Amino acid sequence: MSNNWINENQELIEIDGSYGEGGGQILRTSVALSLVTQRPVRIKNIRAKRNKSGLLRQHLTAVLAAAKIGNAELTGAELRSNTLTFRPGKVRHGKYHFAVGSAGSAALVFQTVLYPLLSTPGKSQIVFEGGTHNQKAPPFDFLERAFLPLLTRMGAKVKLCLHRRGFYPAGGGCMTAEIEGGDLRSLSLLERGPITSRRARALVANLPANIGNREIKEICKKLEWTREEAKAEVVQSDGPGNVVVLEVASEHCAEVFTGFGARGKRSEEVAREAIRELRAYLDSGVPVGEHLADQLLIPMALAGKGSFHTVPLTDHTTTNIELVRYLLGVEIDVNTRPHNGTVRVDVRR
Amino acid sequence: MARNVVIGLLGTTLDSGAGRRWERWRPTVDLARHDDFLVDRFELLHTPRWASLAHIVRDDFMQMSPETKARCHEIMFDDPWDFEQVFASLLDFSHEYTFNPEEENYYIHITTGTHVAQICLFLLTEARYFPARLLQTSPPPPRHRGDPGTYRVIDLDLSKYDQIASRFGRDQAAGLSLLKAGIATQSPAFNHLIAQIEQVAARSRAPVLITGPTGAGKTRLARRIYDLKRQRRQLEGPFVEINCATLRGDTAMSALFGHVRGAFTGAGGARTGVLKSADGGLLFLDEIGELGLDEQAMLLRAIEDHRFLPVGSDREVTSDFQLIAGTNRDLRKAVHAGTFREDLLARINLWTFRLPGLRERSEDIEPNLDFELERQTQQMGTRLTINRAARQAFLQFASSPDGRWYANFRDLTAAVERMATLAPGGRINTSVVEEEIGRLRRDWDDADQSGLHNRQAGNDSLLLQEFLDREAIAQLDRFDRVQLADVLRVCKTAKNLSEAGRVLFSASRKLRKTTNDADRLRKYLAKFDLSWKRIHGRAQK
Repeated sequence: MSNNWINENQELIEIDGSYGEGGGQILRTSVALSLVTQRPVRIKNIRAKRNKSGLLRQHLTAVLAAAKIGNAELTGAELRSNTLTFRPGKVRHGKYHFAVGSAGSAALVFQTVLYPLLSTPGKSQIVFEGGTHNQKAPPFDFLERAFLPLLTRMGAKVKLCLHRRGFYPAGGGCMTAEIEGGDLRSLSLLERGPITSRRARALVANLPANIGNREIKEICKKLEWTREEAKAEVVQSDGPGNVVVLEVASEHCAEVFTGFGARGKRSEEVAREAIRELRAYLDSGVPVGEHLADQLLIPMALAGKGSFHTVPLTDHTTTNIELVRYLLGVEIDVNTRPHNGTVRVDVRR
Repeated sequence: MARNVVIGLLGTTLDSGAGRRWERWRPTVDLARHDDFLVDRFELLHTPRWASLAHIVRDDFMQMSPETKARCHEIMFDDPWDFEQVFASLLDFSHEYTFNPEEENYYIHITTGTHVAQICLFLLTEARYFPARLLQTSPPPPRHRGDPGTYRVIDLDLSKYDQIASRFGRDQAAGLSLLKAGIATQSPAFNHLIAQIEQVAARSRAPVLITGPTGAGKTRLARRIYDLKRQRRQLEGPFVEINCATLRGDTAMSALFGHVRGAFTGAGGARTGVLKSADGGLLFLDEIGELGLDEQAMLLRAIEDHRFLPVGSDREVTSDFQLIAGTNRDLRKAVHAGTFREDLLARINLWTFRLPGLRERSEDIEPNLDFELERQTQQMGTRLTINRAARQAFLQFASSPDGRWYANFRDLTAAVERMATLAPGGRINTSVVEEEIGRLRRDWDDADQSGLHNRQAGNDSLLLQEFLDREAIAQLDRFDRVQLADVLRVCKTAKNLSEAGRVLFSASRKLRKTTNDADRLRKYLAKFDLSWKRIHGRAQK
């Protein structure tokens, strides 16, 4: 199989990091799958089209974490480096501790080490400290409520536990993960089925409680949810933070949508951000939302089989599909339904 | 990779965040948040009074940047606006702190602290008490509120950030390149020389003396100094050159200083003379050692007062020119021999640059070869290339002892010109090079034979080097060099001093009744601190 942005020679696979959305995701997926397949990769033009090109701290943190669990040999693992060569070693389970700066995200580091560890026999206990809630990464609630149940259904033995939230910018959160290596089963998520439960939470840390109340009020008004379903919560954290989490469980899966509070942003707007995403999902009728679609590609490819229906693919997901397809050597068929633009994705060997 | 260490003062106002520390921009703490700058260690300086705030700042820093080790240091001053106190306490800190610049990059954060503190930090960094770069941070614009803002690194050493210094640096680099005609010369001695000349050319209008063997490039260099000065608008006038060896008798005077109509027989019209022509420009007097004593006296006056009398005139003429003199003679010896004025030498000897010959710059043969090829390419209008084998063959010959390069760069230029002309289709191949090597060998052999360059020239100097050090040889006139070399050659093969004396003085001994050739030879050798014993002692080993 050949590809204009992924090339390989006897020595390694070379990936153009500026391809497609050209962000940190290419980098993280590449090093994670390099550990899984035990094939060296070189990522060049890292984030070349971005404002600050090259490796930034949050990327470096993820790469270094992957190198740590996989005894990888690194070249170019420096801030602002444009080319990274990653030569995987043997992946080892054990107790790991990763400190993530406030600009980074524990979830992104978790995703980077997850699949290498899942593909290797053994059991790991990992502590992630730092940012757990950052607008630019999947929040813990998404991992826990939407992603993890599906992964468990595929046979993965993974436990996640949040001990303290770490909001951007102060960070200071803590999350632990238990990962046990083992085979994954295929999964088919073609129908959503009827909705079984709904939950809205407005989490507020070290900020006036009123913020959460206003957000809940907006949610109840716009979505016509009951006060039983929507609640404001005051949570503990080192710094200030606010996030709205909307969760919809249906017969076959659950989805989570979030809106982040920021200085100068009205509470109602924070709520509406999450509402808009939720509505798009509900209207589409598919079981898998935009972010979840992205997360399901690798485990399905590792299982060798899987299908899901999702919303129209983002650039991000399309790039990811090409990368996973190449690195794991699987077929990934993408079929768009003409009448509503939703997409069926089939992963097979 | 070197660790980044930031040293900064606690900002008692801004770093406190005024009760909403996670929402406000804090210059020190927000340094932890840049995604493209990692602080491995932060040294936070504070006075005892602010210890508790310093601890909060330290802990917040490490929380946001777990990769960082942040430490607090107490320093003493009562009044942060008191220049003397602040300077003294920061100076003390710089003395006590162990810097390890090999492994760590230091940054002095100057955004926090009073203006007085900023000035002190700047001064201490500029004076290298802090071997650091300056780090300046600023808050984010209102629409990016909550972001860590921006940082800027200012390297006082690297003139890159100093506009003036950078322009100066650019000019200097351009100047050096100009002086070297854009040739990337490798010889450290030559490059050092050029750097000095650039400085002198930039800063001084005093006369410059360029010495060195024929063909070393004295004229070319003078021309480039002129170009450089003109480019820097230090000169407006023309470049005028004259070779003093070509000046004889009356014409010498008038060529230099000019004459009025009818000044002497045949002086039908007036003549300006090169000194006047060079007014406001640069006069290059090559072979200045060949100038007659009268002309020397006039020249001295012209250099000192910018005034002189043209031949036959009673009205002085003024001319303000920059003088560059060239010579391949040892002018000191000429002064000793009474053929060169001591005061004139003193005047032009302020800046003396000795241009080494090609053989002393064998590492520069290749860049000069490229330069000449390029020049030929431009002159001939067709692309001129040399294949790798041909290049190697030429360079190997050129830098071997066989490459005698009597006329130095003049020989090289001529060689390339000939090869360029003979190159089939503009490609110089090995056979063209072999042919040229043969031609050069024959030329130099002819030169050796014709006595211009004694056949033994190479051998002579080798022979001399056997017995004398380089400095002593440099002091010798060519006249003496040849003679001494021949004497040594005889001494080396003779059994004893008397035998050598007999060989050396064979002609004169026939005319004299009593001869003591051995004594004559001993005295001659003694002039050079040599003795029979020394010659044979050394020669044996």
